[in-house]
Amino acid sequence: MNRRLTAQPCGTSILAAIGRRPLLQFALLAAALLVIAVLPHLGLMRFSTMSIYAYTAIYTVVALGMNILLGFSGLISLGTAGFIGAGALGMGVFLRMGLPFEAAALVVLAISGSVGALIGLFSLKVESIYLAIATLFVGEILRQVYTSVPIFGGEFIRIGAVRLFGVFELNQILQVERSILYAVIVGILFISMVLMHHLVKSRTGRALMAMSRSEHAAQAMGVSLLKYRLIAFVTATLYATAGGILYALYFQSAPTRAWTLNVSLLVIAMVVVGGFKSIVGTFLGAIIIYGLPNLLLKDLLGDISYVFSGALIILVILFYPRGFVYVGHDLRRVVSTLRARARRAP
Amino acid sequence: MSEVRPMTEVRPILELENVTMTFGGLRAVDGLSLTVFEGEIVGLIGPNGAGKTTVFNCVTQFYKQYEGLIRLTKDDGAVDLRDVPVTQVVRHGITRTFQNLDLVPDLSIEDNVLVGAHTRFQTGVLSHLLRTPRARSEEKEMRDRAGEVLDFLGIAHLKDLYVAGQPYGILKKVEIARSLMAEPRLIILDEPAAGLNDQETKALDALIYQIRERYRTTVLLIEHNMALVMNVCDRVCAINFGRFLAMGAPVTIQRNPQVQEAYLGKDEHL
Ligand SMILES: Nc1ncnc2c1ncn2[C@@H]1O[C@H](COP(=O)(O)OP(=O)(O)OP(=O)(O)O)[C@@H](O)[C@H]1O
Ligand SMILES: [Mg+2]
Repeated sequence: MNRRLTAQPCGTSILAAIGRRPLLQFALLAAALLVIAVLPHLGLMRFSTMSIYAYTAIYTVVALGMNILLGFSGLISLGTAGFIGAGALGMGVFLRMGLPFEAAALVVLAISGSVGALIGLFSLKVESIYLAIATLFVGEILRQVYTSVPIFGGEFIRIGAVRLFGVFELNQILQVERSILYAVIVGILFISMVLMHHLVKSRTGRALMAMSRSEHAAQAMGVSLLKYRLIAFVTATLYATAGGILYALYFQSAPTRAWTLNVSLLVIAMVVVGGFKSIVGTFLGAIIIYGLPNLLLKDLLGDISYVFSGALIILVILFYPRGFVYVGHDLRRVVSTLRARARRAP
Repeated sequence: MSEVRPMTEVRPILELENVTMTFGGLRAVDGLSLTVFEGEIVGLIGPNGAGKTTVFNCVTQFYKQYEGLIRLTKDDGAVDLRDVPVTQVVRHGITRTFQNLDLVPDLSIEDNVLVGAHTRFQTGVLSHLLRTPRARSEEKEMRDRAGEVLDFLGIAHLKDLYVAGQPYGILKKVEIARSLMAEPRLIILDEPAAGLNDQETKALDALIYQIRERYRTTVLLIEHNMALVMNVCDRVCAINFGRFLAMGAPVTIQRNPQVQEAYLGKDEHL
């Protein structure tokens, strides 16, 4: 059985064909999400529901970065929320200074990325649990900064309408423009997925995996641990910050108190539940951990719905340590074994 | 001295002078001197715990705290390997396999082999993120080369399978393939036959010869399987308790009383 486990899905069904084409998967996913932009205008969905999908997409971008760390590089960070906050609040600060949206985004990414690089350097010195604790403090320090430094405006920074490329002014209070903002976010989610796919299916991705799974061989083959830890942390930080920037873009206001350890843990849970190393799985994880409780269960169960995520994480770790996205894969294997058996039966 | 020498001009590629490596009080390698000539297949033998793997770890710079000198001769002069960081050793033309296999279980065989080509790539992270035409063509070129190497080792048909769950004999070949991808001048094999069945071990003889011919490398190998050592090695160096015992043609080493004594009482045979 094990020898049959190929890296590529095989078979001729439509599903298998889609399984072989990751870019097509991302495109289908983005197309499905884009449909949601239209539904509220047809009276088929509340606008607040669209916002939950927007937030899920934002969380997915952040969790993709976490998957680079956790899934591919065997590293961890508990400071993710701090960098989402850096994206959202940083945009608030620089937009109020009068920077164009795109310039502000680049500045925020550059600053955040540099801090990420520092953590990468630091990660060479400390391993596993100590790295977790160290990054936890980075996150906490950032949170303290956001809530106590006056430049971040106390409770939250109001951003208001943003102007993209200097022409398209979009205000999230207006229903049509909110749908456009949502579409922009889905577009960037799609791009994030494609870029990550490119990265992990390259020399860089292989080096990240070799670094975490066969450290000595990686070194013997010329993989510099320093360089690739830096790459892992900078990429993860940039994805988290990009998530924050998208938050600022969509909600057009950035709270200072929201970036707690809880958020960082949710992001980790998305990777664990959705699927290590799986890009589509990361989206699944975001839907399961953030989307479902807010879309369905909150109406039924109220705040207890979050217990659901907790229970789910424990279940997945116990029974699906590789993540939810592999359920389909395993089901397919079970089905084909059963079929084979049925054929063999007299 | 040694009767069998490389076919071409006799030029040393790797020289160890008085190398000593201690762990706490234990002298795992003790004043070892050894020269490997270009184009040779040299065997390093010795009972369990004799310090063979430690020698390899010193040569490939996983250990830096050794005493003595390890020198690599290249076309453009000699290099003191101690000055070379562990991740740069491969750029000087030395690659190795690992006694206890060090592969990425959740990558395909082909991708594992491509890890060996790491230093052969010119493109970096940014071109990979954007998958530039350059990155794409380079990736394809390397994949083709990996295909050739896998074909040479007779496992090309398995390239898409994950490493996890593969039999030992295949994994050993994947390790060799990965090393070959780096285009080494000197390839260091740590017990390539360990865990192989008789048939696979027999095939390994020919394979090691072919590696030298086809990839024009020098081979330094540790091996417990004496039949293999006798068949493929031009010269053999025997050590015990980290100390040099004898070096020469396989037959001379096999008959050497000191070497025989070293193996006496051990459950291995010459
Ligand atoms: N990293 C290490 N720390 C402490 N002691 C070590 C270390 N590596 C090896 N040793 C010790 O050094 C000695 C030589 O070990 P080494 O692995 O080099 O032997 P070997 O000849 O390769 O043996 P084998 O045939 O079993 O592979 C042994 O006594 C071993 O316990
Ligand atoms: Mg050994």
